[in-house]
Amino acid sequence: MNIEFTLNGKPRMLSISPNEKLTEALRRLGIFSVKTGCNEGACGSCVVSVNGRTVQSCMMYAAQVDGCSVETVESIGSLDHPHPIQNALVEEGAVQCGFCMGGLIMSAKAVFDKNPSPSDEELKIHLDGHLCRCTGYEKIQSALRKLAAGGKA
Amino acid sequence: MKLTAYHRPATLAEARRLLVTLGPTAMPLAGCTSHSFVKGDDARIGVDLARIGYDGIAHANGQFVIGANARIADLQEYHAPGWVLDRVALRFVSQPIRNMTTIGGNIARIFPWNDFPVALLALNATMTIAGETERKIPADQYFDGQPGRLFKEGDILIAIAVPEVGESCGFSYHKETLVHMDFSRLTVAVWLRREGKKVADVRIALGAAIPLPDRLEELEGALIGQVYSPDVVAGAMGAQLAKLRWRSTDVWSEEYAQQLARVHVADAIGEAYRAAGGDRK
Repeated sequence: MNIEFTLNGKPRMLSISPNEKLTEALRRLGIFSVKTGCNEGACGSCVVSVNGRTVQSCMMYAAQVDGCSVETVESIGSLDHPHPIQNALVEEGAVQCGFCMGGLIMSAKAVFDKNPSPSDEELKIHLDGHLCRCTGYEKIQSALRKLAAGGKA
Repeated sequence: MKLTAYHRPATLAEARRLLVTLGPTAMPLAGCTSHSFVKGDDARIGVDLARIGYDGIAHANGQFVIGANARIADLQEYHAPGWVLDRVALRFVSQPIRNMTTIGGNIARIFPWNDFPVALLALNATMTIAGETERKIPADQYFDGQPGRLFKEGDILIAIAVPEVGESCGFSYHKETLVHMDFSRLTVAVWLRREGKKVADVRIALGAAIPLPDRLEELEGALIGQVYSPDVVAGAMGAQLAKLRWRSTDVWSEEYAQQLARVHVADAIGEAYRAAGGDRK
């Protein structure tokens, strides 16, 4: 079957199997920031935004995004022009292997899009479900807390 | 389960026709977050219900009517006097999962860890199923076994009506997990109405630590008409809890589950009682 959707602002058409998950389809399109970690919605490394809401792409069928707008971390910053969230994480030393970062940054962006100065509680609510095996979370929280205090995301 | 074809009906009528035509091979799809727990390689045809509507929350005549396609995040973000399901939603897994899972999906097929059946039992909700006629099914009947037994081919759950938690009433919800976003290991929901210091009415539901969510009706009966005190609750609880069949898990025994339930049920009743007296409802 064929689906049409907007990926990072550009229209895309893709031939998929009905059983194909969104993670697999995105990686087939070269979006390698979207990782398959647990493949059961527990780790957060596959999180993308669909119509403005973060979702676990490993649990979503690609067919479900027909007609939708899908955004991945590739849409929000680049090496030359990183997003303030990405800058904050780098400055705080909150990134080590980076496996979790694509999904985590999408969830962080969803919080800051709603409120440029989110509380610790809001950050906790929205970032729960992102597993990071390297940093122990302290640096991530610290980076986002500093960004929230500045209100410049 | 493997999807071999996928349909996305735009209306309830179209969805019903598809389900009838496809028969048992049809797999109604809502948020799809529970699909990784459906084992087996049987071929199914997906019928995605996401675009047939029934995704809002309406408030009128002392009750909230929630469309079955409303996401858990919608329940989390909704606020109105007498609305308490935001508290249940907030403890539901993680934000991306709350953004995907629908309340209809969470109660159409019950896994032991599902969160909403317990809350809906305590709140005396009513489920509406669209079939040849529209049927309204009270929570006590709906959750008295797997809901699938109530669905004929082509039937679709379309709405859940939940009464407001009104004056002199309180609600409490407890969820025990190993880590915050873990599956529920034990859930307790209590709705309570008081008259002065007496418990005028109460509905207590327990889940996750027992095979299917259930009300503690014997305990409810023992509390109604009594002046509330922790001692009254403790005295009434033992006999009821001893009769339940408890689930052991990888981390605790049946006996531990029962002891933990004793603590949570007592605390939840106390909180609902205080809320009914004017603390946070």
